[in-house]
Amino acid sequence: MMRWSWGNKRLLVLAGAFALLLLAPLLNYYYDINFIQGWYQSIGIGDFWIVSPLEGLESLLVTREPFGPLLAALFFPVLLALLLGRVFCSWICPITFLTEVSERLKKLLSKKTATPERWTLFRQMLWFALGLELFLTLVLGAPIFVFMSPPGLIGRELMMLIFFRTLPLEGLIIILVLILNLTSKRFYCRYLCPLGAFLALLGMKRRVRIENILQNCKGCRTCDRACPMGLSPSVGEGTTVYCWNCGTCIDNCPYGQLVFKVKKEESRPPIPMQKRS
Amino acid sequence: MEHVYPGKCIRCGRCVEVCPYRCIELLDIRHGLSAGTPIIDVEKKPCFLCMKCVHVCPTGALLPIEQHETRMGLAVIDQHTCVSWKPDSLLMCKTCYNVCPFRDTAIRMEEFKPYVDERYCVGCGICTNACLVNREQGGKAINIKPIYATIKLPEVPQ
Repeated sequence: MMRWSWGNKRLLVLAGAFALLLLAPLLNYYYDINFIQGWYQSIGIGDFWIVSPLEGLESLLVTREPFGPLLAALFFPVLLALLLGRVFCSWICPITFLTEVSERLKKLLSKKTATPERWTLFRQMLWFALGLELFLTLVLGAPIFVFMSPPGLIGRELMMLIFFRTLPLEGLIIILVLILNLTSKRFYCRYLCPLGAFLALLGMKRRVRIENILQNCKGCRTCDRACPMGLSPSVGEGTTVYCWNCGTCIDNCPYGQLVFKVKKEESRPPIPMQKRS
Repeated sequence: MEHVYPGKCIRCGRCVEVCPYRCIELLDIRHGLSAGTPIIDVEKKPCFLCMKCVHVCPTGALLPIEQHETRMGLAVIDQHTCVSWKPDSLLMCKTCYNVCPFRDTAIRMEEFKPYVDERYCVGCGICTNACLVNREQGGKAINIKPIYATIKLPEVPQ
């Protein structure tokens, strides 16, 4: 069996997540099947509801009253972020899908290397973006990110296209974000995305991290050049809060020195693997 | 459906997707901070009160309420153009009365004239879409006027 690289697996998941955004409105519009509704602001698969954590937080902050279904719908994405970190960004987000697809097309057409790192800012910019966004939300009394969020907007544009045959003007934000992402490597995701910042914050103590096992590392820094977030996994930056567990560095390491490591709690003894009768 | 509080709604559009009559639309960016919130233009397409939208809202912007508790507006009869209300008219039309989902409570016929009871009218717009009179200035002989959350309507006796 062929071993799939993390990049290919991830592209498959991203494509599936994007296809869901197209499938849901098509099923709803043409077949009146309401099994799946919504997109990555809130998606309902049958009675399993998910609300994006930042949007849910904004709604709670503005209304100042908890609503049962909202809290329940926040449970799963928050748990995912707590355990795996910012994996929504790298494995599901439609912006990442569109960015990666255009990057791959660009590579096929022009034989050029990946998007350059044209502008680099402080990594801490991400927290500033989150703070500013939450502050503005509270000042204006209306959630900002919910109608400006690029991953949500893609879903909204696709739904509006299928339901009303129009594309709302807010879609320009998507184009702007894609231009930023393709001009300088993941510029929006790295420095400006409040949702990414919030998920990163939740995943600060995540269980799965990328570590350099340092047995055979030659210090070639191939992984550092490959990292879409501009980190240096060779010196252990894969364990920092900024890593989004995409696995690109693992694919690119010629010596197989980088691995996903599941950190177990030290206090608890390891669970025996054999089945209990 | 009821007053959508733009701070609560997270613009996920699930209400739009489940509406079987495609009555719910989303406001666009011209509406400022309310952009992306759902709206039903009942005079264009009435709401048939299937209550599917309120059961998928994840944030409580739409609350799962009963059909008769809904308030989307208020039907107002234009007594100058309604054929049953014209003093010298020999016609008696009761189309709005016939189509009203809350017949005899929201719209009543008294002395062959339709009356709207504001305590019961949910503002679904079915009457407006059924009304046969097209006014010169636009609209029908029965139209839906917006109601605002600040106006307290009298209590509905159970």
